[in-house]
Amino acid sequence: MKKLLNRVAVLAIAGTVSMGAQATTPEEDRNAFNKLYKWRFSGVPMEEFVNGAYAIDPIGRENWEAIEEFPPYEPFIDEGEVMWETPFANGKGYKDCFPDGPAIAGNYPHWDKEQGMVMTLPLALNQCREANGEKPLKYKKGSITNIVAYTAFQSRGQVTNVVIPDDDPRALAAYENGRKFYFTRRGQLNFSCSTCHLQNTGMKVRTEILSPTLGQTTHWPTYRSKWGTVGTLHRRFTGCNKNIRAKPFKAQGEQYRNLEYFLTYMSNGLELNGPGARK
Amino acid sequence: MSISNLKLSVMAGAVTLLAGQILPLPSLAAEGSSVVAEGKAIALSRKKGNCLACHLIEGGEFPGNLGPPLIAMKARYPDKQKLRAQIWDPTAANPESAMVPFGRNKVLTEAEMDKLVEYIWTL
Amino acid sequence: MQVNRLYSVLLVTALLGGGVGTTLAADAKAADPKVVEVQKMIDGAEKARKKAASVDSEWRDTGKFIKQAQAALKAGDYDKAMKLARKAEDEGNLGYQQGVSQQELHLPSYLKY
Ligand code: HEC
Ligand code: HEC
Repeated sequence: MKKLLNRVAVLAIAGTVSMGAQATTPEEDRNAFNKLYKWRFSGVPMEEFVNGAYAIDPIGRENWEAIEEFPPYEPFIDEGEVMWETPFANGKGYKDCFPDGPAIAGNYPHWDKEQGMVMTLPLALNQCREANGEKPLKYKKGSITNIVAYTAFQSRGQVTNVVIPDDDPRALAAYENGRKFYFTRRGQLNFSCSTCHLQNTGMKVRTEILSPTLGQTTHWPTYRSKWGTVGTLHRRFTGCNKNIRAKPFKAQGEQYRNLEYFLTYMSNGLELNGPGARK
Repeated sequence: MSISNLKLSVMAGAVTLLAGQILPLPSLAAEGSSVVAEGKAIALSRKKGNCLACHLIEGGEFPGNLGPPLIAMKARYPDKQKLRAQIWDPTAANPESAMVPFGRNKVLTEAEMDKLVEYIWTL
Repeated sequence: MQVNRLYSVLLVTALLGGGVGTTLAADAKAADPKVVEVQKMIDGAEKARKKAASVDSEWRDTGKFIKQAQAALKAGDYDKAMKLARKAEDEGNLGYQQGVSQQELHLPSYLKY
Protein backbone atom coordinates (compact mmCIF):
# COMPACT_ATOMS: atom_id res chain seq x y z
CA MET A 1 0.00 0.00 0.00
CA LYS A 2 2.72 2.40 0.99
CA LYS A 3 4.64 1.41 -2.09
CA LEU A 4 1.64 2.10 -4.23
CA LEU A 5 1.18 5.52 -2.67
CA ASN A 6 4.82 6.33 -3.26
CA ARG A 7 4.45 5.36 -6.83
CA VAL A 8 1.44 7.56 -7.28
CA ALA A 9 3.34 10.45 -5.73
CA VAL A 10 6.32 9.90 -8.01
CA LEU A 11 4.06 9.76 -11.03
CA ALA A 12 2.30 12.92 -9.98
CA ILE A 13 5.58 14.77 -9.53
CA ALA A 14 6.97 13.47 -12.80
CA GLY A 15 3.77 14.57 -14.46
CA THR A 16 3.90 18.12 -13.21
CA VAL A 17 7.60 18.48 -13.88
CA SER A 18 7.41 17.44 -17.50
CA MET A 19 4.20 19.39 -18.10
CA GLY A 20 5.68 22.47 -16.49
CA ALA A 21 8.92 22.05 -18.38
CA GLN A 22 7.24 22.10 -21.76
CA ALA A 23 4.78 24.84 -21.05
CA THR A 24 7.08 27.68 -20.05
CA THR A 25 6.62 31.08 -21.65
CA PRO A 26 9.54 33.03 -23.12
CA GLU A 27 9.38 35.43 -20.19
CA GLU A 28 9.55 32.53 -17.74
CA ASP A 29 12.54 31.16 -19.62
CA ARG A 30 14.30 34.52 -19.47
CA ASN A 31 13.63 34.89 -15.75
CA ALA A 32 14.96 31.41 -15.08
CA PHE A 33 18.14 32.16 -17.04
CA ASN A 34 18.61 35.45 -15.21
CA LYS A 35 18.07 33.75 -11.88
CA LEU A 36 20.68 31.10 -12.61
CA TYR A 37 23.34 33.60 -13.68
CA LYS A 38 22.62 36.01 -10.85
CA TRP A 39 23.01 33.17 -8.40
CA ARG A 40 26.11 31.79 -10.09
CA PHE A 41 27.80 35.22 -10.39
CA SER A 42 26.27 37.01 -7.46
CA GLY A 43 28.79 39.86 -7.45
CA VAL A 44 28.43 40.72 -11.13
CA PRO A 45 26.08 43.60 -11.97
CA MET A 46 23.53 42.80 -14.67
CA GLU A 47 24.88 45.32 -17.18
CA GLU A 48 28.32 43.64 -17.06
CA PHE A 49 27.08 40.50 -18.81
CA VAL A 50 27.44 42.18 -22.20
CA ASN A 51 31.19 41.66 -21.80
CA GLY A 52 30.99 37.88 -21.95
CA ALA A 53 33.71 35.92 -20.20
CA TYR A 54 35.43 39.19 -19.25
CA ALA A 55 32.59 39.95 -16.86
CA ILE A 56 33.65 36.95 -14.78
CA ASP A 57 37.36 36.55 -15.53
CA PRO A 58 39.52 39.29 -13.99
CA ILE A 59 42.74 38.13 -15.68
CA GLY A 60 41.26 37.89 -19.15
CA ARG A 61 39.63 41.25 -18.56
CA GLU A 62 42.95 43.04 -18.11
CA ASN A 63 44.17 41.89 -21.51
CA TRP A 64 40.86 42.74 -23.05
CA GLU A 65 40.81 46.26 -21.66
CA ALA A 66 44.27 46.82 -23.10
CA ILE A 67 43.03 45.61 -26.50
CA GLU A 68 39.95 47.85 -26.36
CA GLU A 69 42.22 50.92 -26.05
CA PHE A 70 43.10 50.47 -29.72
CA PRO A 71 40.04 48.61 -30.93
CA PRO A 72 41.00 46.10 -33.61
CA TYR A 73 37.54 46.36 -35.17
CA GLU A 74 37.80 50.07 -35.97
CA PRO A 75 38.98 49.75 -39.59
CA PHE A 76 35.98 47.52 -40.27
CA ILE A 77 33.58 50.16 -38.98
CA ASP A 78 35.21 52.71 -41.29
CA GLU A 79 34.88 50.44 -44.29
CA GLY A 80 31.28 49.78 -43.37
CA GLU A 81 30.57 53.48 -43.32
CA VAL A 82 31.91 53.78 -46.85
CA MET A 83 29.62 50.92 -47.90
CA TRP A 84 26.68 52.61 -46.26
CA GLU A 85 27.37 55.90 -48.05
CA THR A 86 28.18 54.44 -51.46
CA PRO A 87 25.22 53.95 -53.84
CA PHE A 88 24.65 50.63 -55.60
CA ALA A 89 24.96 50.40 -59.39
CA ASN A 90 21.31 51.41 -59.71
CA GLY A 91 21.89 54.65 -57.81
CA LYS A 92 20.05 53.55 -54.68
CA GLY A 93 21.72 52.49 -51.47
CA TYR A 94 21.33 50.95 -48.03
CA LYS A 95 19.90 54.28 -46.90
CA ASP A 96 16.90 53.76 -49.13
CA CYS A 97 16.15 50.35 -47.63
CA PHE A 98 16.71 51.55 -44.07
CA PRO A 99 15.46 55.12 -43.84
CA ASP A 100 15.91 55.08 -40.03
CA GLY A 101 19.46 53.75 -40.34
CA PRO A 102 22.27 53.20 -39.70
CA ALA A 103 21.41 52.79 -36.00
CA ILE A 104 19.12 49.83 -36.63
CA ALA A 105 20.74 46.88 -34.86
CA GLY A 106 18.26 47.13 -31.99
CA ASN A 107 15.43 46.16 -34.35
CA TYR A 108 16.92 42.71 -34.97
CA PRO A 109 16.25 39.87 -34.85
CA HIS A 110 12.51 40.23 -35.28
CA TRP A 111 9.63 38.19 -36.56
CA ASP A 112 8.84 38.99 -40.18
CA LYS A 113 5.19 38.15 -40.56
CA GLU A 114 5.09 38.61 -44.31
CA GLN A 115 7.99 36.28 -45.02
CA GLY A 116 7.02 34.02 -42.12
CA MET A 117 10.52 33.88 -40.69
CA VAL A 118 12.94 35.39 -38.23
CA MET A 119 14.62 38.38 -39.83
CA THR A 120 18.20 39.14 -38.81
CA LEU A 121 20.28 42.19 -39.61
CA PRO A 122 22.69 40.46 -42.03
CA LEU A 123 19.78 38.87 -43.87
CA ALA A 124 17.92 42.19 -44.12
CA LEU A 125 21.07 43.87 -45.47
CA ASN A 126 21.42 41.20 -48.13
CA GLN A 127 17.76 41.39 -49.07
CA CYS A 128 18.30 45.09 -49.60
CA ARG A 129 21.24 44.37 -51.88
CA GLU A 130 19.35 41.79 -53.89
CA ALA A 131 16.31 44.00 -54.26
CA ASN A 132 18.66 46.50 -55.87
CA GLY A 133 20.36 44.07 -58.22
CA GLU A 134 23.49 43.56 -56.12
CA LYS A 135 25.01 40.21 -55.24
CA PRO A 136 24.35 39.07 -51.67
CA LEU A 137 27.38 39.03 -49.36
CA LYS A 138 28.74 35.89 -47.72
CA TYR A 139 27.45 35.51 -44.20
CA LYS A 140 30.36 34.54 -41.98
CA LYS A 141 33.25 36.85 -42.87
CA GLY A 142 34.31 39.42 -45.41
CA SER A 143 32.52 42.65 -46.26
CA ILE A 144 29.26 41.65 -44.51
CA THR A 145 31.15 42.22 -41.27
CA ASN A 146 32.05 45.77 -42.33
CA ILE A 147 28.50 46.91 -42.88
CA VAL A 148 27.27 45.09 -39.78
CA ALA A 149 30.15 46.59 -37.77
CA TYR A 150 29.15 50.06 -38.89
CA THR A 151 25.47 49.62 -38.02
CA ALA A 152 26.43 47.96 -34.71
CA PHE A 153 28.67 50.85 -33.77
CA GLN A 154 25.97 53.36 -34.64
CA SER A 155 23.50 51.36 -32.54
CA ARG A 156 25.58 51.26 -29.38
CA GLY A 157 23.50 52.05 -26.34
CA GLN A 158 20.26 50.67 -27.78
CA VAL A 159 18.65 48.09 -25.57
CA THR A 160 17.98 44.48 -26.60
CA ASN A 161 14.25 44.13 -26.93
CA VAL A 162 13.20 41.06 -28.86
CA VAL A 163 9.45 40.81 -29.22
CA ILE A 164 7.53 37.64 -29.88
CA PRO A 165 4.31 38.91 -31.38
CA ASP A 166 1.20 37.05 -30.29
CA ASP A 167 -0.71 37.71 -33.50
CA ASP A 168 1.26 35.02 -35.34
CA PRO A 169 1.74 31.62 -33.69
CA ARG A 170 4.65 30.90 -36.03
CA ALA A 171 6.73 33.47 -34.12
CA LEU A 172 6.45 31.57 -30.85
CA ALA A 173 7.12 28.35 -32.75
CA ALA A 174 10.36 29.86 -34.12
CA TYR A 175 11.38 30.87 -30.61
CA GLU A 176 10.64 27.38 -29.33
CA ASN A 177 12.66 25.81 -32.14
CA GLY A 178 15.56 28.03 -31.17
CA ARG A 179 15.17 27.00 -27.55
CA LYS A 180 15.04 23.34 -28.55
CA PHE A 181 18.23 23.80 -30.54
CA TYR A 182 19.94 25.36 -27.54
CA PHE A 183 19.14 22.43 -25.27
CA THR A 184 19.79 19.62 -27.77
CA ARG A 185 22.97 17.60 -27.51
CA ARG A 186 24.83 17.33 -30.77
CA GLY A 187 28.00 16.00 -32.30
CA GLN A 188 30.25 13.13 -31.38
CA LEU A 189 31.14 14.89 -28.13
CA ASN A 190 27.45 15.06 -27.19
CA PHE A 191 27.12 18.64 -25.95
CA SER A 192 24.31 21.14 -26.09
CA CYS A 193 24.88 24.89 -25.96
CA SER A 194 23.38 24.64 -22.51
CA THR A 195 25.99 22.13 -21.30
CA CYS A 196 28.74 24.69 -21.70
CA HIS A 197 27.11 28.10 -21.44
CA LEU A 198 24.44 27.40 -18.81
CA GLN A 199 25.27 24.27 -16.79
CA ASN A 200 29.02 24.95 -16.69
CA THR A 201 29.22 28.67 -17.20
CA GLY A 202 32.20 30.12 -15.35
CA MET A 203 34.04 26.79 -15.43
CA LYS A 204 37.15 26.23 -17.49
CA VAL A 205 37.60 24.01 -20.53
CA ARG A 206 41.38 23.93 -20.66
CA THR A 207 42.13 27.61 -20.16
CA GLU A 208 38.88 28.97 -21.65
CA ILE A 209 36.30 30.29 -19.22
CA LEU A 210 32.80 29.52 -20.43
CA SER A 211 30.77 32.68 -20.85
CA PRO A 212 27.12 32.95 -19.80
CA THR A 213 24.50 32.86 -22.53
CA LEU A 214 23.23 36.11 -21.11
CA GLY A 215 24.92 38.90 -23.09
CA GLN A 216 26.25 36.69 -25.87
CA THR A 217 24.33 38.50 -28.58
CA THR A 218 25.02 42.16 -27.79
CA HIS A 219 28.38 42.74 -29.47
CA TRP A 220 28.40 41.43 -33.04
CA PRO A 221 30.30 41.36 -35.23
CA THR A 222 33.29 40.54 -33.06
CA TYR A 223 37.00 40.76 -33.70
CA ARG A 224 38.62 37.54 -32.56
CA SER A 225 42.35 37.25 -32.20
CA LYS A 226 41.99 33.61 -33.16
CA TRP A 227 40.30 34.59 -36.44
CA GLY A 228 42.60 37.56 -36.95
CA THR A 229 39.55 39.41 -38.20
CA VAL A 230 35.95 40.27 -37.51
CA GLY A 231 33.28 37.57 -37.78
CA THR A 232 29.52 37.32 -37.45
CA LEU A 233 27.44 35.68 -34.72
CA HIS A 234 26.62 32.80 -37.03
CA ARG A 235 30.31 32.24 -37.65
CA ARG A 236 30.67 31.82 -33.89
CA PHE A 237 27.74 29.35 -33.85
CA THR A 238 29.56 27.42 -36.57
CA GLY A 239 32.72 27.32 -34.46
CA CYS A 240 30.95 26.11 -31.33
CA ASN A 241 29.19 23.39 -33.35
CA LYS A 242 32.42 22.24 -34.96
CA ASN A 243 34.22 22.08 -31.62
CA ILE A 244 31.80 19.46 -30.39
CA ARG A 245 32.21 17.59 -33.70
CA ALA A 246 28.75 18.40 -34.96
CA LYS A 247 28.20 19.40 -38.56
CA PRO A 248 27.51 23.12 -38.48
CA PHE A 249 24.33 24.48 -40.04
CA LYS A 250 24.11 27.06 -42.78
CA ALA A 251 24.82 30.61 -41.65
CA GLN A 252 21.50 32.49 -41.80
CA GLY A 253 19.65 29.22 -42.36
CA GLU A 254 16.50 28.57 -40.39
CA GLN A 255 18.14 26.72 -37.47
CA TYR A 256 20.68 29.43 -36.69
CA ARG A 257 18.17 32.26 -37.18
CA ASN A 258 15.74 30.65 -34.74
CA LEU A 259 18.62 30.06 -32.33
CA GLU A 260 19.53 33.74 -32.60
CA TYR A 261 15.92 34.67 -31.90
CA PHE A 262 15.88 32.63 -28.69
CA LEU A 263 19.38 33.63 -27.62
CA THR A 264 18.78 37.33 -28.15
CA TYR A 265 15.48 37.14 -26.29
CA MET A 266 17.39 35.80 -23.28
CA SER A 267 19.44 39.02 -23.34
CA ASN A 268 16.43 41.35 -23.40
CA GLY A 269 17.17 44.46 -21.36
CA LEU A 270 20.92 44.41 -22.03
CA GLU A 271 22.62 47.21 -23.96
CA LEU A 272 24.09 46.73 -27.41
CA ASN A 273 27.86 47.24 -27.38
CA GLY A 274 29.08 46.01 -30.75
CA PRO A 275 31.40 45.50 -32.39
CA GLY A 276 33.23 43.46 -29.80
CA ALA A 277 36.72 42.08 -29.26
CA ARG A 278 37.45 38.61 -27.94
CA LYS A 279 40.45 36.34 -27.87
CA MET B 1 22.37 -1.27 -14.20
CA SER B 2 24.05 -4.28 -12.65
CA ILE B 3 23.14 -6.31 -15.68
CA SER B 4 24.75 -3.87 -18.05
CA ASN B 5 27.83 -3.77 -15.84
CA LEU B 6 27.96 -7.51 -15.92
CA LYS B 7 27.66 -7.45 -19.69
CA LEU B 8 30.44 -4.93 -19.88
CA SER B 9 32.75 -6.94 -17.73
CA VAL B 10 31.98 -10.09 -19.65
CA MET B 11 32.66 -8.23 -22.87
CA ALA B 12 35.86 -6.76 -21.52
CA GLY B 13 36.87 -10.19 -20.30
CA ALA B 14 36.35 -11.58 -23.74
CA VAL B 15 38.38 -8.78 -25.27
CA THR B 16 41.21 -9.41 -22.83
CA LEU B 17 41.11 -13.10 -23.56
CA LEU B 18 41.22 -12.51 -27.27
CA ALA B 19 44.04 -10.02 -26.88
CA GLY B 20 45.90 -12.57 -24.83
CA GLN B 21 45.55 -15.15 -27.55
CA ILE B 22 46.49 -12.94 -30.42
CA LEU B 23 49.19 -10.70 -29.01
CA PRO B 24 52.54 -12.18 -28.18
CA LEU B 25 53.26 -11.36 -24.55
CA PRO B 26 56.94 -10.80 -23.91
CA SER B 27 56.75 -10.41 -20.15
CA LEU B 28 53.74 -9.55 -18.05
CA ALA B 29 55.36 -6.67 -16.14
CA ALA B 30 56.75 -4.98 -19.23
CA GLU B 31 53.43 -5.34 -20.98
CA GLY B 32 51.61 -3.82 -18.02
CA SER B 33 53.74 -0.71 -17.92
CA SER B 34 53.63 -0.12 -21.67
CA VAL B 35 49.84 -0.42 -21.61
CA VAL B 36 49.76 2.24 -18.91
CA ALA B 37 52.08 4.45 -20.96
CA GLU B 38 49.87 4.04 -24.01
CA GLY B 39 46.82 4.78 -21.89
CA LYS B 40 48.47 7.94 -20.64
CA ALA B 41 49.20 9.06 -24.18
CA ILE B 42 45.53 8.50 -25.05
CA ALA B 43 44.35 10.43 -21.99
CA LEU B 44 46.57 13.43 -22.68
CA SER B 45 46.21 13.62 -26.46
CA ARG B 46 43.90 16.44 -27.53
CA LYS B 47 42.62 14.39 -30.43
CA LYS B 48 41.85 11.29 -28.33
CA GLY B 49 40.90 11.48 -24.65
CA ASN B 50 41.68 15.13 -24.02
CA CYS B 51 40.79 14.47 -20.38
CA LEU B 52 42.77 17.57 -19.35
CA ALA B 53 40.17 19.74 -21.03
CA CYS B 54 37.98 19.11 -18.00
CA HIS B 55 40.01 17.29 -15.33
CA LEU B 56 43.07 18.01 -13.29
CA ILE B 57 45.53 15.16 -13.74
CA GLU B 58 48.76 15.23 -11.82
CA GLY B 59 51.58 16.33 -14.12
CA GLY B 60 49.20 17.46 -16.91
CA GLU B 61 49.40 21.02 -18.20
CA PHE B 62 46.53 23.55 -18.42
CA PRO B 63 43.76 21.47 -16.92
CA GLY B 64 40.15 22.63 -17.07
CA ASN B 65 37.83 22.25 -14.08
CA LEU B 66 34.50 21.17 -15.51
CA GLY B 67 34.92 17.76 -13.91
CA PRO B 68 36.50 16.70 -10.59
CA PRO B 69 40.27 16.11 -10.30
CA LEU B 70 41.21 12.57 -11.30
CA ILE B 71 42.90 11.39 -8.12
CA ALA B 72 42.69 8.37 -5.82
CA MET B 73 40.96 6.44 -8.56
CA LYS B 74 41.60 2.97 -7.08
CA ALA B 75 40.10 4.04 -3.79
CA ARG B 76 37.07 5.57 -5.46
CA TYR B 77 36.67 2.84 -8.04
CA PRO B 78 37.72 -0.46 -6.45
CA ASP B 79 35.90 -2.09 -9.36
CA LYS B 80 37.81 -1.27 -12.52
CA GLN B 81 34.79 -2.07 -14.66
CA LYS B 82 32.79 0.67 -12.95
CA LEU B 83 35.52 3.10 -13.85
CA ARG B 84 35.43 1.86 -17.42
CA ALA B 85 31.65 2.23 -17.51
CA GLN B 86 31.88 5.84 -16.29
CA ILE B 87 34.26 6.72 -19.09
CA TRP B 88 32.44 4.60 -21.69
CA ASP B 89 29.16 6.47 -21.12
CA PRO B 90 28.87 8.96 -18.23
CA THR B 91 25.28 9.78 -19.25
CA ALA B 92 24.19 6.30 -18.15
CA ALA B 93 24.77 7.26 -14.51
CA ASN B 94 23.90 10.94 -14.97
CA PRO B 95 21.77 11.90 -17.98
CA GLU B 96 22.84 15.52 -17.54
CA SER B 97 26.54 14.68 -17.47
CA ALA B 98 28.81 17.16 -19.21
CA MET B 99 31.35 14.44 -19.95
CA VAL B 100 31.89 12.96 -23.39
CA PRO B 101 30.59 9.36 -23.85
CA PHE B 102 33.97 8.19 -25.10
CA GLY B 103 32.98 4.57 -25.72
CA ARG B 104 29.34 4.89 -26.70
CA ASN B 105 30.06 7.55 -29.31
CA LYS B 106 33.21 5.77 -30.46
CA VAL B 107 35.52 8.67 -29.71
CA LEU B 108 37.87 5.93 -28.51
CA THR B 109 37.99 2.33 -29.69
CA GLU B 110 37.40 -0.48 -27.20
CA ALA B 111 41.13 -1.27 -27.26
CA GLU B 112 41.95 2.37 -26.52
CA MET B 113 39.37 2.36 -23.73
CA ASP B 114 41.08 -0.62 -22.13
CA LYS B 115 44.49 1.05 -22.13
CA LEU B 116 43.06 4.33 -20.92
CA VAL B 117 41.35 2.67 -17.98
CA GLU B 118 44.60 0.95 -16.97
CA TYR B 119 46.27 4.36 -16.83
CA ILE B 120 43.45 6.22 -15.07
CA TRP B 121 43.35 3.48 -12.45
CA THR B 122 46.96 4.30 -11.52
CA LEU B 123 46.03 7.89 -10.64
CA MET C 1 -0.52 -3.59 -69.36
CA GLN C 2 -0.17 0.16 -69.01
CA VAL C 3 1.40 -0.26 -65.63
CA ASN C 4 3.79 -2.86 -66.93
CA ARG C 5 4.93 -0.57 -69.65
CA LEU C 6 5.50 2.18 -67.12
CA TYR C 7 7.67 -0.15 -65.06
CA SER C 8 9.79 -1.13 -68.02
CA VAL C 9 10.27 2.50 -68.95
CA LEU C 10 11.35 3.22 -65.39
CA LEU C 11 13.67 0.26 -65.37
CA VAL C 12 15.35 1.29 -68.59
CA THR C 13 15.72 4.86 -67.33
CA ALA C 14 17.25 3.63 -64.11
CA LEU C 15 19.73 1.43 -65.95
CA LEU C 16 20.70 4.19 -68.35
CA GLY C 17 20.90 6.71 -65.55
CA GLY C 18 23.20 4.43 -63.60
CA GLY C 19 25.41 3.95 -66.65
CA VAL C 20 25.74 7.65 -67.35
CA GLY C 21 27.08 8.43 -63.90
CA THR C 22 29.93 5.93 -63.82
CA THR C 23 33.29 6.81 -65.25
CA LEU C 24 35.22 4.61 -67.66
CA ALA C 25 37.68 3.56 -64.98
CA ALA C 26 34.89 2.53 -62.67
CA ASP C 27 33.28 0.61 -65.52
CA ALA C 28 36.44 -1.38 -66.02
CA LYS C 29 36.62 -2.17 -62.32
CA ALA C 30 32.90 -2.67 -61.93
CA ALA C 31 33.29 -6.29 -62.86
CA ASP C 32 35.35 -6.77 -59.69
CA PRO C 33 32.91 -7.99 -57.02
CA LYS C 34 35.11 -6.41 -54.34
CA VAL C 35 34.50 -2.98 -55.82
CA VAL C 36 30.78 -3.61 -55.85
CA GLU C 37 30.90 -4.72 -52.23
CA VAL C 38 32.88 -1.71 -51.01
CA GLN C 39 30.70 0.66 -53.02
CA LYS C 40 27.68 -0.87 -51.33
CA MET C 41 29.24 -0.15 -47.93
CA ILE C 42 29.93 3.44 -48.89
CA ASP C 43 26.35 3.82 -50.14
CA GLY C 44 25.15 2.43 -46.81
CA ALA C 45 27.26 4.99 -44.97
CA GLU C 46 25.83 7.78 -47.09
CA LYS C 47 22.32 6.59 -46.29
CA ALA C 48 23.12 6.62 -42.56
CA ARG C 49 24.62 10.10 -42.86
CA LYS C 50 21.46 11.38 -44.51
CA LYS C 51 19.33 9.84 -41.79
CA ALA C 52 21.31 11.71 -39.13
CA ALA C 53 21.00 14.92 -41.14
CA SER C 54 17.24 14.43 -41.37
CA VAL C 55 17.00 14.91 -37.60
CA ASP C 56 19.56 17.78 -37.58
CA SER C 57 22.08 15.55 -35.88
CA GLU C 58 24.84 14.91 -38.41
CA TRP C 59 28.36 14.78 -37.00
CA ARG C 60 31.18 16.91 -38.25
CA ASP C 61 33.40 14.41 -40.03
CA THR C 62 30.95 11.82 -41.36
CA GLY C 63 30.76 13.38 -44.81
CA LYS C 64 34.55 13.74 -44.91
CA PHE C 65 35.01 10.03 -44.13
CA ILE C 66 32.64 9.11 -46.94
CA LYS C 67 34.56 11.26 -49.41
CA GLN C 68 37.81 9.72 -48.25
CA ALA C 69 36.34 6.24 -48.55
CA GLN C 70 35.25 6.95 -52.11
CA ALA C 71 38.72 8.24 -52.94
CA ALA C 72 40.35 5.18 -51.39
CA LEU C 73 38.08 2.91 -53.40
CA LYS C 74 39.03 4.72 -56.58
CA ALA C 75 42.68 4.30 -55.69
CA GLY C 76 42.11 0.60 -55.13
CA ASP C 77 42.80 0.70 -51.39
CA TYR C 78 39.81 -1.44 -50.42
CA ASP C 79 40.73 -1.99 -46.77
CA LYS C 80 41.04 1.70 -46.13
CA ALA C 81 37.80 2.38 -48.00
CA MET C 82 35.93 -0.23 -45.97
CA LYS C 83 37.30 1.00 -42.67
CA LEU C 84 36.27 4.56 -43.46
CA ALA C 85 32.84 3.50 -44.72
CA ARG C 86 32.23 1.49 -41.57
CA LYS C 87 33.27 4.42 -39.40
CA ALA C 88 31.02 6.79 -41.33
CA GLU C 89 28.07 4.42 -41.12
CA ASP C 90 28.55 4.07 -37.35
CA GLU C 91 28.62 7.84 -37.02
CA GLY C 92 25.50 8.22 -39.12
CA ASN C 93 23.62 5.70 -37.00
CA LEU C 94 24.83 7.17 -33.71
CA GLY C 95 24.01 10.69 -34.83
CA TYR C 96 20.54 9.59 -35.84
CA GLN C 97 19.97 7.87 -32.48
CA GLN C 98 21.21 10.98 -30.71
CA GLY C 99 18.73 13.14 -32.60
CA VAL C 100 15.80 10.77 -32.18
CA SER C 101 16.41 10.32 -28.46
CA GLN C 102 15.92 14.06 -28.03
CA GLN C 103 12.86 14.62 -30.17
CA GLU C 104 11.11 15.87 -27.04
CA LEU C 105 12.60 18.83 -25.25
CA HIS C 106 13.40 18.13 -21.61
CA LEU C 107 14.49 21.24 -19.81
CA PRO C 108 17.46 20.46 -17.56
CA SER C 109 17.01 20.13 -13.81
CA TYR C 110 19.65 22.80 -13.10
CA LEU C 111 17.47 25.44 -14.73
CA LYS C 112 15.04 26.41 -12.00
CA TYR C 113 11.79 28.10 -12.88
C1 HEC D 1 32.19 22.53 -25.36
C2 HEC D 1 31.70 23.75 -24.85
C3 HEC D 1 30.86 24.65 -25.75
C4 HEC D 1 29.66 24.37 -26.32
C5 HEC D 1 28.90 23.06 -26.31
C6 HEC D 1 29.23 25.59 -26.96
N1 HEC D 1 30.15 26.57 -26.78
FE1 HEC D 1 29.94 28.51 -27.28
N2 HEC D 1 31.80 28.90 -26.57
C7 HEC D 1 32.63 27.98 -25.97
C8 HEC D 1 33.88 28.61 -25.62
C9 HEC D 1 35.06 27.94 -24.93
C10 HEC D 1 33.77 29.95 -26.04
C11 HEC D 1 34.83 31.05 -25.89
C12 HEC D 1 34.80 31.58 -24.49
C13 HEC D 1 33.46 32.17 -24.17
O1 HEC D 1 33.20 33.32 -24.56
O2 HEC D 1 32.61 31.46 -23.61
C14 HEC D 1 32.44 30.10 -26.61
C15 HEC D 1 31.93 31.29 -27.10
C16 HEC D 1 30.64 31.46 -27.58
C17 HEC D 1 30.08 32.71 -28.00
C18 HEC D 1 30.81 34.05 -28.02
C19 HEC D 1 30.69 34.73 -26.69
C20 HEC D 1 31.20 36.13 -26.72
O3 HEC D 1 31.21 36.76 -25.66
O4 HEC D 1 31.57 36.63 -27.78
C21 HEC D 1 28.81 32.48 -28.38
C22 HEC D 1 27.82 33.48 -28.93
C23 HEC D 1 28.57 31.07 -28.21
N3 HEC D 1 29.70 30.48 -27.71
C24 HEC D 1 27.38 30.44 -28.49
C25 HEC D 1 27.20 29.07 -28.42
C26 HEC D 1 26.01 28.40 -28.88
C27 HEC D 1 24.80 29.07 -29.45
C28 HEC D 1 26.21 27.08 -28.66
C29 HEC D 1 25.30 25.91 -29.05
C30 HEC D 1 25.12 25.79 -30.48
C31 HEC D 1 27.51 26.91 -28.05
N4 HEC D 1 28.08 28.14 -27.93
C32 HEC D 1 28.04 25.72 -27.64
C33 HEC D 1 32.33 26.68 -25.69
C34 HEC D 1 31.18 26.04 -26.05
C1 HEC E 1 33.97 17.99 -21.37
C2 HEC E 1 34.43 17.73 -20.06
C3 HEC E 1 35.00 16.36 -19.72
C4 HEC E 1 35.95 15.64 -20.40
C5 HEC E 1 36.65 15.99 -21.71
C6 HEC E 1 36.21 14.48 -19.59
N1 HEC E 1 35.42 14.50 -18.49
FE1 HEC E 1 35.40 13.10 -17.01
N2 HEC E 1 33.94 14.14 -16.04
C7 HEC E 1 33.39 15.33 -16.46
C8 HEC E 1 32.36 15.72 -15.52
C9 HEC E 1 31.50 16.98 -15.64
C10 HEC E 1 32.32 14.74 -14.52
C11 HEC E 1 31.38 14.70 -13.28
C12 HEC E 1 30.48 13.53 -13.29
C13 HEC E 1 29.48 13.56 -14.44
O1 HEC E 1 28.84 14.58 -14.68
O2 HEC E 1 29.37 12.53 -15.13
C14 HEC E 1 33.32 13.75 -14.88
C15 HEC E 1 33.59 12.62 -14.14
C16 HEC E 1 34.61 11.72 -14.43
C17 HEC E 1 34.94 10.58 -13.62
C18 HEC E 1 34.27 10.21 -12.31
C19 HEC E 1 35.00 10.93 -11.25
C20 HEC E 1 34.49 10.65 -9.88
O3 HEC E 1 34.95 11.33 -9.00
O4 HEC E 1 33.67 9.76 -9.73
C21 HEC E 1 35.97 9.94 -14.22
C22 HEC E 1 36.69 8.71 -13.74
C23 HEC E 1 36.28 10.68 -15.42
N3 HEC E 1 35.43 11.76 -15.51
C24 HEC E 1 37.27 10.32 -16.30
C25 HEC E 1 37.54 11.00 -17.47
C26 HEC E 1 38.54 10.58 -18.42
C27 HEC E 1 39.44 9.39 -18.27
C28 HEC E 1 38.51 11.48 -19.44
C29 HEC E 1 39.34 11.48 -20.72
C30 HEC E 1 39.21 10.31 -21.52
C31 HEC E 1 37.48 12.45 -19.11
N4 HEC E 1 36.92 12.13 -17.93
C32 HEC E 1 37.15 13.52 -19.93
C33 HEC E 1 33.75 16.04 -17.57
C34 HEC E 1 34.67 15.63 -18.52
